[in-house]
Amino acid sequence: MAGVSTAPARARGGLRIGAGDGVRVAVIVALFVFCFVGLPPLLSAYWIDVSTSVAIYSVVALGLNLLMGRVGMVSLGQIAVLALGAWIGARFLFGTGLPFPVVLLIDGLLTMVLGTLIGLPALRLTGLYLALITLMLAGAISVVLAATNFPNGGGGFKGYTDTLQGSANVRRPDIATSDPAYFRYTLVCMALMFALALWHVRAKPGRAWAAIRQSEPAALAAGVNMTLYKLWAFALASFMTGVAGALLAAQVNHLYTFQFRAIDSILLLAVVLMGGIYSLWGAIVAGAFMKLLPALLDNWGLPADLLTILFGVGILQVLLTAPGGVAQQFPRDMARLGGAIARLFKRGEPAREAAK
Amino acid sequence: MPTWEEFKPFIVTGLALGGVYALSGVGTVVLYRATGVLNLAFGAVGAMGAFIAWSLIDKGTVPDGVAFLLCILFGGVVTLVYGLLFGPPLAGRDPLVKATASLGLALILLGAMSWIWSDKARSLNLPTSTHTFEVGGVLVNWTQVIAFALGVAVTIGTGAFLRYTKLGTAMRAMASDREITATLGVPVRRVEAVAWLFSGLLSGASGLLLANLIGLDAATLTFLFISSLAATLIARLQSIVVTLIAAIVVGLVNALITPIFSISQYRDMAPFVLATIALLWMSRKREISFTRGAG
Repeated sequence: MAGVSTAPARARGGLRIGAGDGVRVAVIVALFVFCFVGLPPLLSAYWIDVSTSVAIYSVVALGLNLLMGRVGMVSLGQIAVLALGAWIGARFLFGTGLPFPVVLLIDGLLTMVLGTLIGLPALRLTGLYLALITLMLAGAISVVLAATNFPNGGGGFKGYTDTLQGSANVRRPDIATSDPAYFRYTLVCMALMFALALWHVRAKPGRAWAAIRQSEPAALAAGVNMTLYKLWAFALASFMTGVAGALLAAQVNHLYTFQFRAIDSILLLAVVLMGGIYSLWGAIVAGAFMKLLPALLDNWGLPADLLTILFGVGILQVLLTAPGGVAQQFPRDMARLGGAIARLFKRGEPAREAAK
Repeated sequence: MPTWEEFKPFIVTGLALGGVYALSGVGTVVLYRATGVLNLAFGAVGAMGAFIAWSLIDKGTVPDGVAFLLCILFGGVVTLVYGLLFGPPLAGRDPLVKATASLGLALILLGAMSWIWSDKARSLNLPTSTHTFEVGGVLVNWTQVIAFALGVAVTIGTGAFLRYTKLGTAMRAMASDREITATLGVPVRRVEAVAWLFSGLLSGASGLLLANLIGLDAATLTFLFISSLAATLIARLQSIVVTLIAAIVVGLVNALITPIFSISQYRDMAPFVLATIALLWMSRKREISFTRGAG
């Protein structure tokens, strides 16, 4: 998105560790340990399920976050890619006895290949057309999935059967069959995906993406291999979404096409924008917006449609006034609030000095 | 392979569908050329208009004809208000940002629709749907005729308007360069408002027709717009005549696959596949474009 290029260009530092990084790492580790150890005993089965969804959709959001925030490409079909990942994941989990992590990896790689094929037109088409072609391909994917259905333990290539025996659960990893254990498993996968993203952003690909986002002619002149790095971004986002798809398949046990509605791709775009596309934290915020807010609203007895409207307003608000989203806005607001409070306490001091 | 007799009724369905796609397509292209905004909320606006018409008819407070008119007007007003509110602040931004912003409107409308009219089977029937006649052994109803005729008429009318009137010339000038057009003394905002209103009216009309031809369902109507978007993409968001031809081809292909049982369930892929092939074909020579979004 060329129009909103107020991103912090922190990429130049490479993998060197800056002054603030110590604190940042400590905060991240503490948060992770809290979620891993402390959260499951505190929550009921329902909220553990919601938290697992948040973790999975954070990974999906992370893919789109990277595409939009780092490279400046918009994909309107990420949920279709997620559905594709879920299909492949379920097919492998039913059809093979491979260990779960291996399936995750295979799923990620296969989705990556397919996503890269979708990304191929990205090389030649400019922003708007790329977004539209992803919309078209998402439409095509959902038509195919509606016709083939998701694997449910049947035979053949589709792995789908409409008989009663075809209601088997998608299997989970042996070490994480219970819901709390599966939440922890998902959390670890999510952390790995974020680490992968962070490495990319801070290393050479991140610098190349930043150059492409700022100006394609300049990037070209600087010798950035645009073809390679644009495709790389698509491949990375698809890989993450594929892994998330396999995790989702094992979380929900039964996959149906209505879990991947066309509107969800737009909602995902909205939450990713609202979360903030210039920070990886934004992806976690987006995951929470996507899955935690509907659960909360449901809990309070409010219609989920309110949220759809709110996200619509959110898109407009972010594009008009706050391109950084919550991830940038929140710390800034907190700093402003802190400043205001500090000023409140200091107000008396100059007066006292004057009195002396 | 089905026989010719089995294909015949689907030619009529396809032409009618193509006509509506042409309506949406022309509305989209005119707006895009005049303002640089690809309005992705086009389908949602039309769908909401159709729902409002349904409610009015259901309550029986107004005559059916007035309800249909209000549906079309609703499309015009909502689109115009959006254009007046969000057009100017986004005018200088990338086309991609403008298109994304219109998704905000789409979400607001989708949320409102699903809130007000919860998912329930409904039908909206134009009086013309019950009047039928036979052509070559195929039953045709007047709504289908109207859909096709309106698609062709609007395309020709808009083409003439853009070519021969002062306002149309101004719109074409703005498609080339907004800044220079403004410098030449064209009231840019006013011309844009006309484009928004016109496009909005077309969205109302196509929403009404689609609700008739396909069915009254918020998600279906909203996302059918993506199929019509395929036609505009084949026309590269530039030519309205190519949009018309592409829309009719897309509608026909979509409908004619129906009787072929082996691939029948994949027929809705037709627009997307056609658009993707067309885009890839057209961009085969270009290595990298430096014009952002425009070409």
